Amino acid sequence: MINFPTSSFPALLVALPIFLAILSLIFRINRRAIIGLWGSFLIGILALVSFIEVIQKGTVIHILGGWEPPLGILLRMDPLSAVFIGLTATIGVFISLYTWWYFRAREASKGRFPLFWPLWFFLWAGLNGLFLSNDLFNLYVTIEIITICAVGLAVLSGEKNALKSGLRYLLAAIAGSMAYLFGVALIYGSTGTLDLEHLSEVLKPGKTTNFALIIITLGLMIKKAAFPFHFWLPPAHSAALAPVSALLSALVVKGAFYMMLRLWTEVFEVSLTFAAGQLIGIAGAAAVLWGSWQALLQTNFKLLVAHSSVAQMGYLLMMFPLLIIAPGISSDSANWLSPAWTAGIFQVISHAFAKSSLFLSAGIIIMALGHDRIESLRDLVAWMPMTAMAIGIAGVSLIGLPPSGGFMAKWMLLKGVFLSGQWWWAPAILLGSLLTAGYVFMLLRLAFAPSREINHFRSVPKSLQICALILALGSFLIVIPAENLIQFLEGSESFGSGIQSIVKGGRYGNE
Amino acid sequence: MDILIDILLALLSVYLAFRCMLAPKLSKAVFVFFAFGLTLALAWIRLGAVDVAIAEAAIASGFMGVLLLDSLRDFSLTFSKNHNVIEVKPNNSVEVKNRSELFPKIGLGIGLLLFLLISLEAVWNIPEGGGLTALAGSKISESGVEHPVTAVLLNYRAYDTWLEIGVILMGLLAIFAAGGIKQYRKAGITPSQDPILRQAILIFIPVLFLFGAFLLYFGKMGPGGAFQAAVMWGAIGILLHLGGWPVFTEIPRRLRLLMLTAGLGFFLFLGLIFMTTGGALFEYPPAYAGLLILMIETFGAVSIAAALTAIFAFLTK
Repeated sequence: MINFPTSSFPALLVALPIFLAILSLIFRINRRAIIGLWGSFLIGILALVSFIEVIQKGTVIHILGGWEPPLGILLRMDPLSAVFIGLTATIGVFISLYTWWYFRAREASKGRFPLFWPLWFFLWAGLNGLFLSNDLFNLYVTIEIITICAVGLAVLSGEKNALKSGLRYLLAAIAGSMAYLFGVALIYGSTGTLDLEHLSEVLKPGKTTNFALIIITLGLMIKKAAFPFHFWLPPAHSAALAPVSALLSALVVKGAFYMMLRLWTEVFEVSLTFAAGQLIGIAGAAAVLWGSWQALLQTNFKLLVAHSSVAQMGYLLMMFPLLIIAPGISSDSANWLSPAWTAGIFQVISHAFAKSSLFLSAGIIIMALGHDRIESLRDLVAWMPMTAMAIGIAGVSLIGLPPSGGFMAKWMLLKGVFLSGQWWWAPAILLGSLLTAGYVFMLLRLAFAPSREINHFRSVPKSLQICALILALGSFLIVIPAENLIQFLEGSESFGSGIQSIVKGGRYGNE
Repeated sequence: MDILIDILLALLSVYLAFRCMLAPKLSKAVFVFFAFGLTLALAWIRLGAVDVAIAEAAIASGFMGVLLLDSLRDFSLTFSKNHNVIEVKPNNSVEVKNRSELFPKIGLGIGLLLFLLISLEAVWNIPEGGGLTALAGSKISESGVEHPVTAVLLNYRAYDTWLEIGVILMGLLAIFAAGGIKQYRKAGITPSQDPILRQAILIFIPVLFLFGAFLLYFGKMGPGGAFQAAVMWGAIGILLHLGGWPVFTEIPRRLRLLMLTAGLGFFLFLGLIFMTTGGALFEYPPAYAGLLILMIETFGAVSIAAALTAIFAFLTK
């Protein structure tokens, strides 16, 4: 592990956002937004440079304090974390741009939310830290940072609704954290190490390990609003300010997913059984159906988008049953592993783009109408063509029509499902897409329908609409470098596990 | 003898937890919560974790208790205005409830009991092993301090501690965010101007300051350190506010923010300095490590104390 080249970029990726957060706190409100905007660009550039570094050198590490694990903590940036950090930076820069214009447009009537920028930078640091972490306890610290900042951002508007749902979000997230921490304590107690790579070597199957796996998975499922624990997500995400909703839906829930992916593929291989994967898959399928159905019933745009998040996160869970090979099948013949994880990665990326675009469009519509009831979207195409286009494009990606990133994700998932013979997931995937098409076309039908009133939309700065449109287009543009991205991830040399081991069949299905 | 004390503590903490949960009045629940926190602190001492015990007693029981008492006062103020709301529900309401509400409760109870049993078994199965204690001890000469806990917190795993200091600041920001934009409005009602209270506070302050400083310095070789010292210093700020000297809201905004961010900022600044000279983030030269750690802890304690005072000042305005 120490053989990997050392680089200072991983440390900087955490240090820079925190530095910017402190800086933005010290300055007054007018300067804060400027620091926010330019700081976001700076982090974006840093993420780009680090990404290039990983392309050139492969996995890089940073041994914090010079203490090697298991005593110290090591940051590692392998292609998978580089992709997540790059995604966060891309979405983050556009959301920062949008926020800059958004607060300026609102300035006259309402407050400018002085705490947005410091909390957003802390959140960014937490996300980067999570993606770089290679230590069970450090993962806990980073996800705590993410939770606290996310709750703080969610209640930023100070409205009664936001506070109520924010409190529920906080309680659910803390329950998740406690469950995770309990699992970490069990693992540390039984192995004496927290470093993920050491753990994957020394962890033995047994009751304690199994229980730790269950409780850690449970905690993470609460954190990412997987099916029976999704209750907190729609109110919290829909009551927040528009840029915050975009951040929460596009990036924050992905943090818990990334943790689960890492832990399942790199640490807990010994305890995973076929049934465990199926159980996660069922939760995913239920989320897809329930979330899409609920989205179809909503009359408010933001609630619709938030319920759709529950459904789209469900697709991510459906990749887990495919990653575990059923007993009796040799890993060499498991040719569905590659489509399965490609589906997962593309679902993460395309959902992040599409959902942030939809929430930003929701913010534009609220700004134009004063509310977000769906029936008022009539004649949107005539008055705000760019926003209508953004909603349409992002919606198409959510449905999974070609040639969007969402299509890539759902197609690969179906391919994986049929190659593996686990055909029973296919109806859920198809039905989910059908329901998604239902609510997206419901929105579009209204947008094209003529209005009874003459222009009831107030004017909204063009720059806001451009941000939302670019993000929507992003969910299509990501399929262009798809081939390179897959090669980049598959060819990566990570810690003897991760995607490389998934593709080779790993150590799964030994039981 | 020891086992008797342990059993007594275990029973007492479970009993107090139940009492706290089932207390018919909020005020009673708050006072039982104080007692519960102190019992937990004693349990930590029995487990040999004096650091945690100090933090538990000071933060979980002391600071949380102060905040709870304060919100209790706010509740009673709110409710006494429209006095019909304050009515306490009669205790026999359990029997009145119909069966359809009882079944989920029983199910939940059984589920939690099963969970408890399984987790007990999982904990029971953990093999005896010191974890990283031996390793942490063997490298202690390079860490600049003599106490393994401090070495872990501020040298081996300094990154985690740095982020945790950040978490306190973030928690403060989140509290501000939940309170809306009305930060630090000047207090409408000045707290009690009781001369005896004010005199008593003035006597306590130097004692608290010295004790905090002692805990901070003692962290180098024994249980103690930044977090524990910060609670003592935070108590100074809270007492000053209670005595009618709202120092924290009076000082200039810049200075206030500097105090709040000094811990996180200085920690990062030192880490980055040594990174530019070719080391890793938070890599200190062993010769200066002891001094640097003390400086980081001092700034950290100031920041945490400022954050605790700020939370109190914000919530009681």
